Amino acid sequence: MSDAELLSLAGEDVGHGSQVVLPRLSLTLRTGERIALLGQSGAGKSTLLATLRRRLDTDAAWCPQSHGLVPQLAVYHNVYMGRLERHSALANLWNLIRPDRRAWTEIETLCGELGLAGLLRRPVARLSGGQRQRVAIARALYQQRRLFLGDEPVASVDPHQALRLLALIDARHDTSVVALHQRELALSHFDRVWGLRDGRLVLDATTDTLTLDDLDRLYPDADAASSASADETAHG
Amino acid sequence: MAEPTAPGMLHGDSPGLRLARRSLVLVALCIVLLPFADLSVVAHDPWAELSRMATGLALPHWRELSSPLQAIGLTVSVALWGTLLGVLLGFPLALVFFRSRLVRTACAFVRAIHELFWALLFLQVFGFSAVTALAALAVPYAGIFAKVYAEILEQTPRDAADSLPPGVGRLSRFIYAELPLAWERLAAYTRYRFECSLRASVLLGFVGLPTLGFHLESAFREGHYHQAGALLWLFYLLIGTIGFWGHRRLLPLLTLGSLFLLGPWPHVDSGLLWRFVSHDLWPAPLLDGDWAGLMAWLGNIPDLGPAIGNTLLLGLMGTVGALIIALLLWPLASRHFGNPATRLGGRALLVGLRSTPELMLAFIFLLLLGPSMLPAWLALALHNGALIAFLAARHADNIEPGMPGLPAGGRYAYELLPRIYPGLLALVFYRAEVIIRETALLGMLGVATLGFHIDSSFQYLMFDQAFFLLLVTAGLNIAVDALARRYRPREVVMDDPCSR
Repeated sequence: MSDAELLSLAGEDVGHGSQVVLPRLSLTLRTGERIALLGQSGAGKSTLLATLRRRLDTDAAWCPQSHGLVPQLAVYHNVYMGRLERHSALANLWNLIRPDRRAWTEIETLCGELGLAGLLRRPVARLSGGQRQRVAIARALYQQRRLFLGDEPVASVDPHQALRLLALIDARHDTSVVALHQRELALSHFDRVWGLRDGRLVLDATTDTLTLDDLDRLYPDADAASSASADETAHG
Repeated sequence: MAEPTAPGMLHGDSPGLRLARRSLVLVALCIVLLPFADLSVVAHDPWAELSRMATGLALPHWRELSSPLQAIGLTVSVALWGTLLGVLLGFPLALVFFRSRLVRTACAFVRAIHELFWALLFLQVFGFSAVTALAALAVPYAGIFAKVYAEILEQTPRDAADSLPPGVGRLSRFIYAELPLAWERLAAYTRYRFECSLRASVLLGFVGLPTLGFHLESAFREGHYHQAGALLWLFYLLIGTIGFWGHRRLLPLLTLGSLFLLGPWPHVDSGLLWRFVSHDLWPAPLLDGDWAGLMAWLGNIPDLGPAIGNTLLLGLMGTVGALIIALLLWPLASRHFGNPATRLGGRALLVGLRSTPELMLAFIFLLLLGPSMLPAWLALALHNGALIAFLAARHADNIEPGMPGLPAGGRYAYELLPRIYPGLLALVFYRAEVIIRETALLGMLGVATLGFHIDSSFQYLMFDQAFFLLLVTAGLNIAVDALARRYRPREVVMDDPCSR
């Protein structure tokens, strides 16, 4: 059961509409896997995540890079939006005026775990960057799906907090695909790495076979920097 | 051997040069056509009249005003409820605006006819009543709100809506992920429109509804300038203090309270109403299916060609005049020029000109200069020019000059104007539509534009002719709007809906 395929792409062109970003992409996502998605910005990480999200539909909770929060609404309402489709429009409307008691209790507990206790009534516009990030994660957790898809969900928090947040995400989802830029975190905390470079999946391996140097090759700018320093050494 | 010369000033393909050429063509067109406009000064002694008016404004006689509070109350009530009804009608239309060509066309049509013409139309059915006043504001505003709200909602960031889980209903998505994001801009625009409706509500007095404008018009017409001065000050006071009495928290109370100030309510005879809509508004030959008769009916409309020509000409002159006035006046209110005293004066001048409706300005100039196109031109150029100058000054205030210490002329021509000109020109093109609508309206003061013939058709109870001319006016307005949209500078995003 733990090896069950959730999704499999076999040489498919992936992109937006008619624009292909990742041509002839092949990969498999299995239940129980924790996958770190690495690659330079513009390598196609967001495109791949959007495709996974579309294919997995209601199986996946989604935490976008832009957070997708509504700054004018309170933290409570932003988290509540994770289950907007499970209530009638009328109930949702009423909830804006008077919070639903059960949802309030649940969200209060959830926000407590994420270090947002006491902020439920505060408009998101008045939160710090790190707090907003945690609200976005809270919303994804509140969706209660088996699978977590995150686009840089721990980009703007410190390393300790990042670990704690990833642990929370793991505790509540059996499978996850998370785009990251912290390479160390990818090795220490995930089972498998998907590495994208120039629109191709150049790396698809379990983390126990990988080193930081392997991951460095995903970043062409790092190549340039290291070859430049190599040049300097040669001339110097 | 040819001497090396600098390239011609207007050659080149930069956006700035394109705009400069476009503006010069507009100005040249205006100058070429100017001889066709009737710009004579008919009054024998305008200066004496002007000094009497100025004295009246300087020494207002407050005691001579009869029931000014009642007029103010009615003015505010009509403005508030006219706007509110406009919102209630316009908001649902905004939600389907981009999906329905029918809605877009209908909105363009009701927008294209000025509030006062709507008032003249409703007057025939509802008399001098609150229904006429409210409908005259609510109907065109519904069209305006539908369009502007739709544009604001379309520009809401998509991130929040895109990140919702699959399966969220349309209404839930709207109230959680779209409306809150657009709320501030919607509210700001509604507030701006309320200020417009306050001016329009005053103007309704010019067709006989007992708002502030009614007293103003009669005081001016009868030469009671001290009384007119007092009323004018009251008007400025009302506009100037809108932030206090129109505060967000007071508004619900004000809205409810003003309901009792509205009136009188008409007795509507539904038979007469139906007759008016189904019969009186349409040419008899058309209803009979008599095509030859319809041609004859069309031929009987007096001076249709010249009226359209005059409307377009005055619209062009007004637009060019507004451009020139704006270029001259904006430094008056900008922090880059003058000292605090001149800036205060300049700002007061611009706000004063901007707050005074064109019709009132034109009316005052008409009393001074006699009936020709000149008063209307002055009024259009000054009002719109000041409005654009004010926004341009605000735009310039956000700019930090790269070379401090330039003389004022250099600062104007090299630092600031090149940066604000695209925005300024875009505003002029936006206003062109408003100007052409006002141009038609100024006909009610005797200028031979379409409005003059509409007004007189109503007076002679020739409703079919009046309605036909209204349709022509609306068509003209929509055409000018399309033209202005086509030539508007696209390089700038000076998208302040509160400039329309």
